[in-house]
Amino acid sequence: MSLNQWFEELASSTDLAAREAPVPASSCLKSKVYSALILAMEEDGPLLPLPETKSAGRALCVFEHLVEILPAPDAVQSLQYCKVCHAKALGERVEHAPIYWPGCPYCEFQNR
Amino acid sequence: MIEESPQIESAALLADRQLVTAMLARDRKAAAEFVQRLSDPLVHYIRSRMQPRWEEVDDLVQETFLTALRSLPSYRGDSPLRAWVLGIARHKVEDHYRQRIQRVVLPEESIDIEMMEDPGLDELLDKARAEARTESVLRTLPEQYRIVLLWRYWEQRSATEMSTLSGKTVKSLERLLSRARQEFREQWRNQRKEER
Repeated sequence: MSLNQWFEELASSTDLAAREAPVPASSCLKSKVYSALILAMEEDGPLLPLPETKSAGRALCVFEHLVEILPAPDAVQSLQYCKVCHAKALGERVEHAPIYWPGCPYCEFQNR
Repeated sequence: MIEESPQIESAALLADRQLVTAMLARDRKAAAEFVQRLSDPLVHYIRSRMQPRWEEVDDLVQETFLTALRSLPSYRGDSPLRAWVLGIARHKVEDHYRQRIQRVVLPEESIDIEMMEDPGLDELLDKARAEARTESVLRTLPEQYRIVLLWRYWEQRSATEMSTLSGKTVKSLERLLSRARQEFREQWRNQRKEER
């Protein structure tokens, strides 16, 4: 058996991903990725207005809910209010951040 | 591995398609679900291909998500979203390998003649031990050796494909592979001695 063949056999019989003990994505990473995705989505156009997000069965946080019940136009309902929220700032920087708002993605990303 | 029934599988595909449709409508909460569902498998896969340079994992995970977002319109919904995103991650990892190999000054001397007989390595061990030793040996190798071996054998790219992707000649890549294999063999033998 050549060294090349030996390697082919070794690689086909070893799964390095399986060997690697599962390490959950950190909550900071998830928070940063989410913020980056939202930023990229906004570059393509306005976000789905909050009333439509809610009617699709997705939970809103308390602050989004306050906006959602306002008789405001879509331009207001499409804004990303997380940008000015303490939960985003903490979620991106602190593991196990002390944030507990129901319906808040940054809270749901916490690995508690 | 537990096989899913066709009903569960089609329900999962339907859920994937619904999630993608919501993402395309720029639903912010769908984006959160997308991140929540796919972060762990992405981190797991990318870590296994980047070891031990884990400090670069986060950047690759984020790049994968952003590329997936831009590519969502091309998701047809006939395969699980997770597999589709992991496919993007594989390209990101290969892109990382390509950039690393491009920076390497490859050896110019002729290819070492590798033994065609027994390479001096014992028969493959049981799976768990082989994986443990492989991981351990890969960690000890210089980065260019580790990358070229992972790319060639675990990502199953031929030297020709690696040459096309990296812009290096096939011969120079084969020389690098040859050196990497020999270094791996040395380290494998050393580890075997230590284990005894």
